[in-house]
Amino acid sequence: MAGPIYAADGPGAIRAVPLDGLVALFHRPSGMTHIVAPPAPQILEALQEGPADARTLLARIAAVYEIGEGSAEAIEARLAELEEAGLVRRA
Amino acid sequence: MRHALNVAIGPVSFRVGSAWRSPVAALAGLYRDYPAPADEVCDFTVRLEPEKPWRRWLRPSVAIHGDYMLPDAAPLSLAHGLLAAEMGMNLQMALGQKRFLLLHAATVERGGRAVILTGESGAGKSTLAALLGERGWRLMGDEFALLDCESGMLHPFPRAISLKNGSIEVMRKVAGEGRLGPVLEGTPKGTIRHLKPRPEAIARMTEPARPALILFPRFGADRAMRPVGAAEVFVRLTQASTNYVALASRGFDSLSGLVATCPAMAIDYPDADTAISLVEALFRELPQ
Amino acid sequence: MGDAMSEQSSKEGGVLANPTRRTVLALGAAAASTVVTIRPALAQTAGSVMNCQIPVPGPQHSGQYIAADGSLVAPGTPGSFAPPARPITGEEAKTLLRGGFTPNGMDSQSAQAYANYIRRLQSGMSGFTCYASLQLPR
Repeated sequence: MAGPIYAADGPGAIRAVPLDGLVALFHRPSGMTHIVAPPAPQILEALQEGPADARTLLARIAAVYEIGEGSAEAIEARLAELEEAGLVRRA
Repeated sequence: MRHALNVAIGPVSFRVGSAWRSPVAALAGLYRDYPAPADEVCDFTVRLEPEKPWRRWLRPSVAIHGDYMLPDAAPLSLAHGLLAAEMGMNLQMALGQKRFLLLHAATVERGGRAVILTGESGAGKSTLAALLGERGWRLMGDEFALLDCESGMLHPFPRAISLKNGSIEVMRKVAGEGRLGPVLEGTPKGTIRHLKPRPEAIARMTEPARPALILFPRFGADRAMRPVGAAEVFVRLTQASTNYVALASRGFDSLSGLVATCPAMAIDYPDADTAISLVEALFRELPQ
Repeated sequence: MGDAMSEQSSKEGGVLANPTRRTVLALGAAAASTVVTIRPALAQTAGSVMNCQIPVPGPQHSGQYIAADGSLVAPGTPGSFAPPARPITGEEAKTLLRGGFTPNGMDSQSAQAYANYIRRLQSGMSGFTCYASLQLPR
């Protein structure tokens, strides 16, 4: 039942700059720049604790934030986007 | 090459070689008052060559070659050789510049602080910058803003300003015939003449300035202004940069640093005087 | 929205911790997109030389709000959000210029709409503007 496990690169791999509500990210390994909206930065931060699946990530994030609409399924969708962008990968 | 000229514009030097005399002669006329490059060896080379050997004499066809080239670029007629030289220099900058993040923007300076005017081509940035240059601002450039990746300062690139059609007469009245280059008719953008920057702008062409304000000017609407969010500015400027991606993390750091420290406004204006008053008013309101 | 105070503390939190603790975080619908990737320049592609116009929407859509999908709509349209750069008065402009920045905080739903708006600003490839605005098409 657990979904795929994702991992992000370590803290040195990304340079992040907040820009009015969004975050600009430079991903060193790929040389690509992304602008991301919540909950993407929160997911990337939560993955710093170690590789995890959507359900686990939801729990990590819920420990810190009040989750509005959404569920593990929404986190899955965000992870798929981040994977497409090369910011996370399947562990 | 048979004919050649070394020319320095701001911190960049070019060697422009040509199979024909006229483009180099025209370029020399336009840049006569510029300080000569410090070094014999120039940063970039441009070569204006016949596309095919026989096109040197028969309906002369000027192909733009150099350190950096575009494979499918169309050649120009010899009558437009000066434009070919200008495009060649722009191309070297666009493709080869590594020290500075290049933004397609005009920049003007006052008191050590610079205003960046950016946005769509044809929106009138060059003309607005030229006019500001005649109203107490130092023109740093009308085409490229050079953001130093190390220092975050803007460096001048005060090439001769490319004026099109109606703007030519506007500036001729303000600046005088003596500061205009040859008339170039029948270009894809209509008639073009170059305007030499004021002597002071040329004399100070190695003097950088701190970026203080980013403006998105739009001609042809009622006077209005609107702040532009930092993330939007960031993305618009990546669109306006020829080398953002090539510069990798240095490009990211420079651009995010610029966007994070510089307020940005979109301004609409129906005429030049309104534009100038908007720029003046916004600049005055900046923190000292 | 209730994010006026969190906007302050979000600057102190980790760079990625934005919005701050115990703020409502919308996870976004399954079909939403929250990642805008700056496209690489195709400087060597002949095609991009021909297209010197950047047909991005002008930034001067004063008074308009951003819908969830990033398109611009009339203010007050249900589900739309004020862009971070809403139209301002002269006084607000002065305040803004002194502070340097957009005055209002943004909740995660507005941020997602804003990201969609920004995505639409990218047309063609980054890196090619009219470096030389006179290229003739072959």
